[in-house]
Amino acid sequence: MKQNPFKLISVDEEPPEHLRKEVLASIRLVVLMMRFAQLFLADYASVLFDKFKLIPGDEPTEGDENAKP
Amino acid sequence: MASKRSAGGGELSDEELVEQVKASLNADSFGLIYDRFAGRVYRKCLSMTRDKALAHDLTHDIFLKAFLNMSTFDGRSKFGTWLYRITFNYCLDHLRKRQRGPAMADAETALVDHTDEDRYEEELMSIRAERLDAVLAHLDASDRAILLFKYQEEMSVKDLMDLLEMSESAVKMRLMRARERALKAYKELFPGEA
Repeated sequence: MKQNPFKLISVDEEPPEHLRKEVLASIRLVVLMMRFAQLFLADYASVLFDKFKLIPGDEPTEGDENAKP
Repeated sequence: MASKRSAGGGELSDEELVEQVKASLNADSFGLIYDRFAGRVYRKCLSMTRDKALAHDLTHDIFLKAFLNMSTFDGRSKFGTWLYRITFNYCLDHLRKRQRGPAMADAETALVDHTDEDRYEEELMSIRAERLDAVLAHLDASDRAILLFKYQEEMSVKDLMDLLEMSESAVKMRLMRARERALKAYKELFPGEA
């Protein structure tokens, strides 16, 4: 049976090693900028509070509501 | 297509890994996705562009684009199909801008004559590999890509429908046109053999 000529010309190269580092460096920078933008575009006070608070959990309690300035 | 549980990421499937990245926005987790798909994306870019430096840059941008648009991946298709769709469209957009060529028609829906379809496919498969390489280099990127997806990756019409987001008849017509143009290029490049 005749071989598929498309298979014979297939490229078998791997991406260069340094490309992985470049991609992940860009991703890290993007994440940093996303976090930074989130700080200014969202409610920065609550974002900062979420980042630095010591008590875990997302749901505000009744006590928290009363504690707001 | 991508394997469900391939190298990197332990026992997690591609889709589970994507969910993890979506939740954490963690570059290291994304690195596992990169490890699974980089080879195929890079080779696809290289096949479409035939230019290593350009394939490098396109691969970088495709992974960045995939990361930024990961929230839009809804799991209706496999993650691999979704990523290859980005790859195909991004490479094609870039090549079109560079070549300033005519845009592909969005809806080619004429009826396909299956007799011609089989005959063209047979003729295409009978071309010697080194000749075929020259023929593909002569085609525009969209024709080259669809032929490679179909005959090198052995994607079914259904896979191509998912990838290109087209109807069955549009995919078949696109394939038919690509085969026709490939055979025409072959006859022009190697008149004595056709």
